[in-house]
Amino acid sequence: MNKVMTSIENLKKDIGDFYKPELHHFMVMNAVEVGDQIEVQWFFSDYAHPCDTTCFYTLVSPETEIPSIKDIVASAWVAEAELVDLMNIKVENTQKGFVLEPDFESGPLRKKK
Amino acid sequence: MGRQYEIPIGAQHISLLEPLHFKFTTENEKIVATEANVYYVHRGIEQACCSKFKFRQVSFVVGRVCGLCSISHTTAYSQVAEKLLKIEIPLRAKYLRMLVIELDRIHSHLLCLSHVAENSGFEALFMKTMQYREFSMELLEAVCGNRIQYDFSIVGGVARDLKPQVAQSILERLKKFIPQLDELMDIYKNNWTLSLKNKGAGAITKEDAMRLNVVGPFARAAGLAIDVRNETEDLLPWKEVGFEMITETSGDVYARNMVRLRELYVSIRIIENIINGLPESALITETKAFPDGEATVRLEAPRGELFYYAKGNKTQILERLKIKAPTFSNVAAMAEAFTGNEYGSAPAIIASYDPCLSCTAR
Repeated sequence: MNKVMTSIENLKKDIGDFYKPELHHFMVMNAVEVGDQIEVQWFFSDYAHPCDTTCFYTLVSPETEIPSIKDIVASAWVAEAELVDLMNIKVENTQKGFVLEPDFESGPLRKKK
Repeated sequence: MGRQYEIPIGAQHISLLEPLHFKFTTENEKIVATEANVYYVHRGIEQACCSKFKFRQVSFVVGRVCGLCSISHTTAYSQVAEKLLKIEIPLRAKYLRMLVIELDRIHSHLLCLSHVAENSGFEALFMKTMQYREFSMELLEAVCGNRIQYDFSIVGGVARDLKPQVAQSILERLKKFIPQLDELMDIYKNNWTLSLKNKGAGAITKEDAMRLNVVGPFARAAGLAIDVRNETEDLLPWKEVGFEMITETSGDVYARNMVRLRELYVSIRIIENIINGLPESALITETKAFPDGEATVRLEAPRGELFYYAKGNKTQILERLKIKAPTFSNVAAMAEAFTGNEYGSAPAIIASYDPCLSCTAR
């Protein structure tokens, strides 16, 4: 797995420069709690070099709004909606209520402090 | 512009096996927009795997993510745990994992095909397909001990060996199944009534499949050659046992049927090759290590790419486990592929997606 660090400011540029729909397959987003921060990850594979997995990641505080990559990766809205519900992170233009019912407790996958 | 109506399907509906909700906006019977909701069956499995269960127990927990492809989940988890433990499993265990994965693919594809037939109004074909599917369930029970949710893959290898008489029985039953599969292929391919329902329905192009990151038979039916069995030789030697990529081009319900039927022939060949060349070795690699670091694994489940991410912290409890099911990747395309189709075709189109919400919502 090739991990590429990025930042909230550079995220869309980095993924936009990397991602080509005819070359890359967007798999999923993930989030992992690292201390008081959250490591948000975007996973891609490569059609031509199939064993290569590229993971863009950035560390953010739980209150930070993550930019959406929907305009770069058309199917990313599903993964973004899932993280909003399960990890209670904020993603630009994404509402709760896709994977969990809208009135469900937010962020059931977050560790209880 | 004609008058528009909103028509819901699901979460409980006769044409849905799974609790999935679509809201169609229709105009003169044509679907012009679709909204999807998948939030009915979240069970907190990832949270349980990172809090209540030790990492060796987790393979039994993730086997309950899905009744249809539990071997894919247990194998993918076992592989990601083995990466964290830095162990290599015995060759015989790899072959036996592939054997059960392919038996599982046979029963899963036949289940999907039968429901496409049923939702296309061809009930007799539904019953015939389900009747022919039964042998695969019996074989899975003989190999694993259960018809579904077989805890066959465990961290380090497999839980059971293949008895010679069971291996012989598999070869005999597969031989009997081939003419039945030929018969099914003939009906799904050439039946005029079925083709009226299925040809052109729910079609997506290869470009759309790429744009929307579609996986599994849904993608391959549109011509996108993506199959993890072609890509992960390091974990399971698929090419060694005769894997072949199957694709079609029209991207419709008919093409999805053809991909699944043709893949059944490949699965039969793989199983025969595995049994005829099954290496002798131990079944499990023992270790006293604890998972450390992070790793990912991809595995081709019957519905497409299954993805596992795990992070260990040198304790018995994982820091994080992330499961991405194939249907999850296909949700965006599922919603788009309805557009322009007759509302009456929606049940067959849904069945052809082979959606699994148990996996998706976990």
